[in-house]
Amino acid sequence: MTTMTRPTTGTGAVQVSGLTVRHRRTTALDGVDLDFGTGVHGLLGPNGAGKTSLIRVLATVARPTGGRVELFGGDLTAPRTLRDARRRLGYLPQDFGYYPGFTVREFVAYVAWLKEMPADTTPAAVERAVARVGLADRIDAKIRTLSGGMVRRVGIAQAVVNAPQLLLLDEPTAGLDPEQRVEFRSLLRELGEEATVIVSTHLVEDVAAACTDVTLIERGRVAYRGTPQSLAALGRDGDESDGNTTERGYTAALRAHRTHLTGGGQA
Amino acid sequence: MTSFALYARSRALPTTLAAFAAATLFTLWAATRPETYVDPQRRIPLLALAPLLATSAIGVSLHQYAQELDRTAARPWWRLRLAHLLALTALAALLLAMAVPGHSQEFGAVAMVRNILGATGITAAAAVLVGARLSWLPTLLYFGAVFLSYSAPHLRTATVWTWSMQPGPQRAAWAVAMTAFVVGGALYVAVGTRRERERS
Repeated sequence: MTTMTRPTTGTGAVQVSGLTVRHRRTTALDGVDLDFGTGVHGLLGPNGAGKTSLIRVLATVARPTGGRVELFGGDLTAPRTLRDARRRLGYLPQDFGYYPGFTVREFVAYVAWLKEMPADTTPAAVERAVARVGLADRIDAKIRTLSGGMVRRVGIAQAVVNAPQLLLLDEPTAGLDPEQRVEFRSLLRELGEEATVIVSTHLVEDVAAACTDVTLIERGRVAYRGTPQSLAALGRDGDESDGNTTERGYTAALRAHRTHLTGGGQA
Repeated sequence: MTSFALYARSRALPTTLAAFAAATLFTLWAATRPETYVDPQRRIPLLALAPLLATSAIGVSLHQYAQELDRTAARPWWRLRLAHLLALTALAALLLAMAVPGHSQEFGAVAMVRNILGATGITAAAAVLVGARLSWLPTLLYFGAVFLSYSAPHLRTATVWTWSMQPGPQRAAWAVAMTAFVVGGALYVAVGTRRERERS
């Protein structure tokens, strides 16, 4: 693993040690050790690297094959800890699915109910969450009538309705137009001031613009951890036609990890 | 809108209730026709078809469009699953039992209730194993196979296989149906439906 300047992550809301996830014969995560505290943490990596598997384990929807996962200092194998953690986390899956007949308000209220939010505070929390993603004027529209980008914003609204202390976002900017992405990054920075936000993406520019910390995962292992600036520094000497410095740094870190895995680094 | 109403709509329960109403009206119409009322043997197809319709609606109602989000719920799902399954099974049994007047000791209300319980158990187990949207298929195949093979002389007494075609008070048929209901229902309550959307 390549490690550059380690960012300050504060008290760790997430602590993972020796995390292994296997799907039949495929190893999605292979002995991963990570900790995340307050801030916006980017998970980068090529398709199939293990980002979604990590997010799903942290969201408590997938069980690890091995290792230990602690959220908010509690081991998830205890039912009470698991229930408490679920109240305090927000999750946007890649494909979140929605109930066809629901309006935006109803769907976000449904998720608030899943999180056991008090009934008297739910309506205001729903309106606040929907306003944060810029859909206040469409709050009573059926979700099926919205564009793909708007549906994605509904997904973000449901993820933040309970003011989560841990927010897990899997490819949150997929389908958003450039203006919406800029606004979303601003929302991410705002959320990251008080919560632990983990964003899985393959868009390097999202990480560079919004994240305080970047973890590069490849073939189920942590290939690199550092700040977006230190990742960009790895690509400073590359060819400018190969993208911006962060993208070149991403490629350089991946190559270094692959070389390390194949033993090329020892030659 | 209350949380109960949101849950009910998320599981398409209004559509399920409409399906129950349609199945009840159809059963009532078919069971009260003069030839069917006089000869209870003619009700046998009805005692297979009506539970199939009702339990198909129950099975589809178990589908979760937002399954990935539902799985992050702090709320314990097993209680909701249990209440959901018991309430719909009881309602279907009540409505369809009332739709087959007379002949309760042969092919009437008792056999209808038994078949609904058994079919619900198979459908619930299928929702766990193949997913809620196709949970009606194993029940349809099983009931169809029993219906078609029942005329074979050596199968008429094979209660474990042809429980759904037996007269109402037949104890062994009830035992099989109840076992299916308890095992299938418990499996669904404990595990939930199979995940149907594969992640990319």
